[in-house]
Amino acid sequence: MAGLSPSERRLQKELMSLMKEPPPGVVVDVDLAEQNILQWIIQMEGVSGTLYEGEQFQLQFKFSRKYPFDSPEVTFIGANIPVHPHVYSNGHICLSILTDDWSPALSVQSVCLSIVSMLSSCKEKKRPPDNAFYVKTCNKNPKKTKWWYHDDSV
Amino acid sequence: MSTSASPAEPSASPPEPSTSGNSSQKEGAGEEARDDRNFECNICLDTAKNAVVSMCGHLFCWPCLHQWLETASARQVCPVCKAAISREKVVPLYGRGSSDQQDPRENSAPRPSGQRTEPDGSLFNGFGLGDNSFHLSFGIGAFPFGFFTSTFNLGETRPSPAAMGTPQHLEEQFLSKIFLWLAIIFIAWLLLA
Ligand SMILES: [Zn+2]
Ligand SMILES: [Zn+2]
Repeated sequence: MAGLSPSERRLQKELMSLMKEPPPGVVVDVDLAEQNILQWIIQMEGVSGTLYEGEQFQLQFKFSRKYPFDSPEVTFIGANIPVHPHVYSNGHICLSILTDDWSPALSVQSVCLSIVSMLSSCKEKKRPPDNAFYVKTCNKNPKKTKWWYHDDSV
Repeated sequence: MSTSASPAEPSASPPEPSTSGNSSQKEGAGEEARDDRNFECNICLDTAKNAVVSMCGHLFCWPCLHQWLETASARQVCPVCKAAISREKVVPLYGRGSSDQQDPRENSAPRPSGQRTEPDGSLFNGFGLGDNSFHLSFGIGAFPFGFFTSTFNLGETRPSPAAMGTPQHLEEQFLSKIFLWLAIIFIAWLLLA
């Protein structure tokens, strides 16, 4: 692992541990991540016993050279974007650890677990109330959005 | 305490080595790996280098934590538990293997600005350049002026200059030599400081 930048080195370590001990329902596309360590695709399974049971989602992680000091850019991509009060139909996720509450001690794994628990605790499948407006006006990068984390209970 | 059949005593022999030998060996290896992870930096996930520990007990490389404190300068919290954290409130760790007991906070340029660079080299680099040389030559030039005026004043207090060879003349010469030496020492000090 010599010759890697600190961010690449840390991402390699995270990739290894995700391969060795993946959290339940989370699978990382290792080949893709090894081609470009700064962009990962993760398959996520809806947890059984929740509203998303049996569904498959795809998460995209983009890392900057300043990772882990800078948070990753995380969005749902693909055909199935989960219908959830904190997930916009363009895949953007309103989750405070992805911007304001990010810490370099967090990881891809901890972000995945947060998203799994966010989905699992959902009581009613619906889009955020401002979905139509947001999707039309937002920046492509969700980190550019000034999120207003007001109802973390959902 | 002493009467109980001390299961916690370290010298207690391992139970039935013939039956559980294999599995306990595996457990031991796993424990070792876990022990190593206990000394991983919470930021770079490597074994902590120039290790520091926060008041809340979380371990980091100083360079890693320093970078985080710089990044999140408005909200200085522990990356792991969000407790308040600051440069002054972390404790450097010195293991037996570390040869120098230098405070890790000393290296990796901890203070961002307003700090003088270390003395070696910097003086002579700046010596003939711009501001520095201007101030320096001004100081040297101004001094002899003050020196002459002070000897002049010294003479003025006497009604007539002392005649050659008199004790007064010798004393004046002695004084001016002292002033000359003081001037030389002062200039040398300017150059070396
Ligand atoms: Zn580190
Ligand atoms: Zn802490």
